[in-house]
Order: sequence, then C-alpha cells, then structure tokens
Amino acid sequence: MLRELSYALAAVGLLAATASHANQNQLELQQNPELWPVQLGNYQGNRHSTLDQINRDNIGDLRALWQFSTGVLRGHEGGPLYVGDGRLYIHTPFPNKVFALDLEEQGRIVWTYEPDQDSRVIPVMCCDTVNRGLAYADGRLFLNQADNTVISLDAETGELLWEAQNGDHTRGETMTMSPLVVHDKVIVGNSGGEFGVRGHITAYNAETGEMEWRGYSNGPDDEVLIDPETTLMMGEPIGEADLGVSTWPEGEWERGGGAPWGWVTYDPELDLIYYGTGNPGTWNPAQRTIDGEPADNKWSISVFARDPNTGQVKWVYQKVPFDEWDYDGVNENQLIDVEINGEQRKGLAIIDRTGFGFLLDRETGELLVAEKFAPETNWASHYDMETGRPVVTDEYSTFTQGVNVNTTDICPTAMGAKNMQPSSYSPETGLIYAGINRICMNYEPFETEYVAGQPYVGATLTMMPAPVQDGEMEGRMGSFIAWDPVAGETVWQVDERFAVWSGALTTAGDLAFYGTLEGYVKAVDIETGEELWRFKTPSGIIGNINTFQHEGKQYLAVLSGVGGWAGIGLAAGLEDPEAGLGAVGVFSALDDYTELGGVLTVFALSD
Amino acid sequence: MMMSVKPRRPGWFAVLAGTLLLFGGALPGMLLAAEETSAETQGEGKETQETQEKQWGEYVIEDGKVDPGTYQGYLTYTRNCLACHGPDGLGSTFAPSLIRAAERRSFADFIGTIAAGREIQPGRVMPSFGDDPNVMKNVENIYRYMRARGEGGLGRGRPKVIESMKEKKESDDAPGETAQ
Repeated sequence: MLRELSYALAAVGLLAATASHANQNQLELQQNPELWPVQLGNYQGNRHSTLDQINRDNIGDLRALWQFSTGVLRGHEGGPLYVGDGRLYIHTPFPNKVFALDLEEQGRIVWTYEPDQDSRVIPVMCCDTVNRGLAYADGRLFLNQADNTVISLDAETGELLWEAQNGDHTRGETMTMSPLVVHDKVIVGNSGGEFGVRGHITAYNAETGEMEWRGYSNGPDDEVLIDPETTLMMGEPIGEADLGVSTWPEGEWERGGGAPWGWVTYDPELDLIYYGTGNPGTWNPAQRTIDGEPADNKWSISVFARDPNTGQVKWVYQKVPFDEWDYDGVNENQLIDVEINGEQRKGLAIIDRTGFGFLLDRETGELLVAEKFAPETNWASHYDMETGRPVVTDEYSTFTQGVNVNTTDICPTAMGAKNMQPSSYSPETGLIYAGINRICMNYEPFETEYVAGQPYVGATLTMMPAPVQDGEMEGRMGSFIAWDPVAGETVWQVDERFAVWSGALTTAGDLAFYGTLEGYVKAVDIETGEELWRFKTPSGIIGNINTFQHEGKQYLAVLSGVGGWAGIGLAAGLEDPEAGLGAVGVFSALDDYTELGGVLTVFALSD
Repeated sequence: MMMSVKPRRPGWFAVLAGTLLLFGGALPGMLLAAEETSAETQGEGKETQETQEKQWGEYVIEDGKVDPGTYQGYLTYTRNCLACHGPDGLGSTFAPSLIRAAERRSFADFIGTIAAGREIQPGRVMPSFGDDPNVMKNVENIYRYMRARGEGGLGRGRPKVIESMKEKKESDDAPGETAQ
C-alpha cells in the first residue's frame, strides 16, 4: 500500500506536465479501499470492495442510518460516489439533478445542481428517463444529461465548469450512461437504439470540454477509427476495409444503431478502454439484409477495445452478427486476470444479453469461453469457437420465421438475460456475481419506415417468465447467480420473484449484495448464496449498492426508485404462457409491490 | 394523467346500458357493442339524437375473439404504445393505463392527446403522434381495443379475429390469425 502510494505521488508530479492528472487522480482514489470513486468501483468494473468491517458474522447488525428523498419519480439507476471528502454525490433521472450530501450530517444538502432541459427529450427516451450516474476526477464531477449535454461541475461548489453538446434529441439521440474519465478525457456514449440513431463514443477534454475524438459504431473505417491492417478481429487483422458499410443494405448503416449506452471499463496497463455497442437500428431483421440474405450489420452488438488517447480501435469482436432479437450488446466488460488451461490470461468477462457468459482475451479480442448462464437460452445452440459466431436455432430465428410471423418462446427476451445491471467479480473467489432476468418472448417483425426522431423499431413482442427448471422457484422472473467465468458454469443460484435489475456488490466481508424490484436490499453469503440480511427500501431497486469507509466506519448506500425497462415490462405482470389466449393466470405484478419515488438509503453497523 | 378528469361514468356507459335494456337478454354470445346502439338510435329515434352522438370505438367480442378493427388496434398499440404504456394497455411505471384513459376520456380527448401530445407535469410528457400515419389512421382502432379490454372484458395477449368477419379485414400489414 505504501509503495503504491509513493508510486502514485511520484506519478502525480510526473504527469502534471503531461496533463494526464485526471486519470492519475482516479487511479489514486481507486487504490484507496475506503473510497468508491467510480460507478463500477474501479476501472476494471469489478464492483468489489476489500472492506470487511461489515461481514458475514455481524451482518445482522446492519441498520439504515438515514434516508434522503431525491424528489424525483422515475427509475433511479447508478449509485452514489464517495471520494473521501465527507460527502456523497448523487444524481437523479430526468431532470438530472445532482446533490452533494453531507455524510456527517445525515445527508444535509451541501449544494444542488439542476439543469434546464427541453422536456421533449422525455418521450424519446425509450425505456424511462434513467441515468447511470456521475463520474469524478480531480475535483470535478461529470454527468451526461438526457438532452445530450455533457457537463462538468466543481465538486466543491456545484458550479458549472463547462458543457458540451453531444447530440440532438429531436433526432432521437439521448444520453443515459455514466461517463468514464481516462487520462485527461471524459469518455461518453449516446443512446437511442430504438430511434435509428448512429451510435458513437466520444472523448471530451476534462478541463475544457472540447471534443478530442469520436468513433462511430458503424460506417466507413475512418469514422469508426478502424485500420483494417492493424485492428484485430478474433486475434487476426480484419483485412477487409469498411465492413461497417458493406455489411448493410444501401445506406442503412446511417441509422444503424450500435449505441454504446452501457458501461465503459479501462485497463491502465494496456491503456485500452472497453465497451459494447447496441442493437442494429430496426428490430426487423429483413430490413437489414443484403439481397435477401442475412448481413452482419457491423459493428452493432460488438465489443470494442480502443486507445483512449486517439480512439483508434485495437480489436473488435461482434457477439451477434445480424441481430434478430434486439440483443443489445452493451453489457459491462469486466476485466479479470484468470488462469485458463494452466496459462495466465488477461481476461474480459461478459454476462451478456444473449444469455451467454463470454470470456475473451482483452489484449487480442480472441474468444476463450462462451457458455449459457441462463439455461433457458435457446436462440443459439452454442458458439463456434473457431469463428466466434453463434449457431442460431432456426425455430427461434425471427428472420427465418419471417416478417409478420410471430416467432414464439424465444429465450431470453429482448431485455436480455442480463440488462444494464452491472455484475461484480471477487478476486478472492474468482467468481462473477450477477442479477439476471429469466424471461422469454414472442417476437414479430414488421416493416417499418425511418422518420427522424420517431421510434424505429419494427417488431412487436410479448414476454413471459422462462420455463422453470428442476428445483427452481415457481413463476420466478429473475435470479442472482455466482458464475465461474473460466469453467463457464453457474456455481450457485438464488431465485427471485422479479428480474434482478440492480447491480451486484461483493466485499471482503464474504458478502454479496443486490437489490430487488420489490425494494429489498439483500446480503447473501458469498460462498453459498444463503440470505443473511434484508432491508425494504421505499421503492424497487434498479440502482447499484455501493460501499465505502469514512472516519473508520464502513457504509453501504443505494438509490431505490423503480422504473426503467423493468418497470415498463413488469409493472402489470407477465402472462402465463401455459394459460393460453386471454390468460387469466398472470405472473406477479410489480404494481402489487412497489410505487415510484427516488430515495437514497445509507446503512452502517449499529454502534 | 387523470388530474383534470373527474372519475365519472362516461356517456357511452349510459348508452350501453340502454342498449342492453333494449335487447334484453337476447344478445347471443355477442358481448357488446355500441354498433347496435348507433344503428338503433340513428335509424329510428330522432328524438334521442342530441344525446346520442356517434359512438366511437365500437367493438365486437365473440368467444374471446374480436372484430378486425379491434385486432388492428391491438397491433397498433403493441407497436407504438406498449414501449411506454406497458403490455395490453395495462400501464407501467412510466405511463398510465390506456384502458383507464379510454374509460374516463371522450374519444375527442383521446385522439387529441395522441395527435398533439401533452405535457402532464414536469418530467411526464406524452409525445405527439400527429405525424405518424400508422398511428393516426388507427386511433379509433386503439380506442376500440382499449374499450374491449376494459368494459368488454377482453383478456390479455394477442386476440384472434372472429372467423366470419375476417374477409372484411384488408389490412396492409396485419398478419394472419395463424399466430400463437
């Protein structure tokens, strides 16, 4: 620890000259186990804390200390940041308020910032007006507003330092993701996959707000920032130029989606950022064919590894070429070091929308493992490990079944077997912990026309709980799992009534935490999944539980406030697929358990 | 969303009640419809005309199956409205139930909101669909479907079309009733 600190201090002096101190500041904060300075806990996205004051033995003494109402309805995603200054920094969904709360005075408001935004942005946010939270570096906070304004605030005073325009909501572009600060750059991605936007990731100067580079998810190589001679795909140079144009029917790449609205992670040693891209424009696959044949629609639903300094793509891996199910590929890429076949590898693990748990080599982008973590997954039988492509099941191929045909019982649903809720990785157990969705769907593509600023969807879908496997809870729509990313196996599983739409947290106290849509925060034994503690917050949880230590006391804090796609899909309950038409038997309705309203709850052990 | 609307029985309810009285228990299997009401009132009683305006959103339900317009309403709803208002008109955490909206609001209000949009309160906005031809030409079908779901007792999910009414359906993009 001491050595790390002196490295950090030396580096600060060194880097002051190269203007890269923001990154250094983040690294330094991340090395202090008492802090939670970035939404996913660290650059690697592990959501793991080495704090152990709250542990398996005393968890029964965990109490809510105070609560704070954000005054905002709608879904509260993301979580609080703690950077060691005695305050919690939190955000809200639209209108995207920011609060600095005094930790020592039970949440007294130190300052509030509320942007002035055009409310016409609300209806173009596909699945609620969510926001996944603030970023911090070097005394500044960063936030992506719904209306595409990227802002920087003085953390001390809440004063606006700069703002930058990243897009146009009248064309269906919005922002929901949490920025990531790397070096002197703020990395942001747009949303709007259901409005035919063209996805892009952009770097702004953290100090001035000036745009430094932008890499698109589709289109010509010089706009995607690909060099086909050097950019790798499955460990080999791509070779062919402009696949982001040639794998689409004429001009369709311009509304080709691939919005990178999920989390960005970063490897400081390799100096690469990692993120995934969303669905390819319309949900009707027939409109994305070339001469009636499936086309890859690159680079939608792909993992990108980019140089944060220039945006150049080091490697890219397309998880789902020619999407037929809206398997948005934005889920977080956890950077984990693993031993596989006796060899140490720098891994990248994904609990993916598709129901597959992937492990890639994060230096080269090679696919190492692809196994189903949601056992009902049926759209593909498996992945061909040579080509890295899924082997699609005809019965569940909405393209093979055709336009205006209702393809039934596809698993998972378009919500994905896991959505944006970020997973956790414990280096002590070597396992990934994730809240997942156990929901299937019927999907019927239809012909749709692109109109700027209007939804560009082209499929109707209905959802139902995934068939129950042996020993599972009847009617469950979610589970919390411990996943072995190398063996590709579930180690244990806890079923939940509703999809588990909250981020996971693990700690050195041998605990795993998650929230439920009914509003419970739960602590389970990291080794067995056995429930050890629960607390009911005022509303359903789609935010993330974060932990930190201040003045010798370990805290836990979470934003509750139901909403998001989970709230839209599950509010009224799902139909029972067995009950047939006009089903009477409806699975549990979220409406029966929770109502809207954002609240921060802060926990610690009772004295 | 319901703030400006008094929770009252809308006009059609009285009409419906009247219809049921007129037809007594002789309505065989056909649950509803203001269709008969309009025919009845417009064809005969001029004296009731001032209180009996055209009834919007007529629907037919027979053994859980529906007329082609109501079916088209289901499709249009599912394609355009479900993403906010939830499956089968039931509402969500994001936007209210349209079944209730159709119960409490006149058709004029319903179509007006869809066409022009509405800012309900800060943070709650209904967008305008006035420029979307697929929605606008099907507004009455959506209303039909919502009334069928509400007072008509139509269940959840994709309904089937009544066999004898199928030939009437010349919908451009409606799929066959073979689904499910």
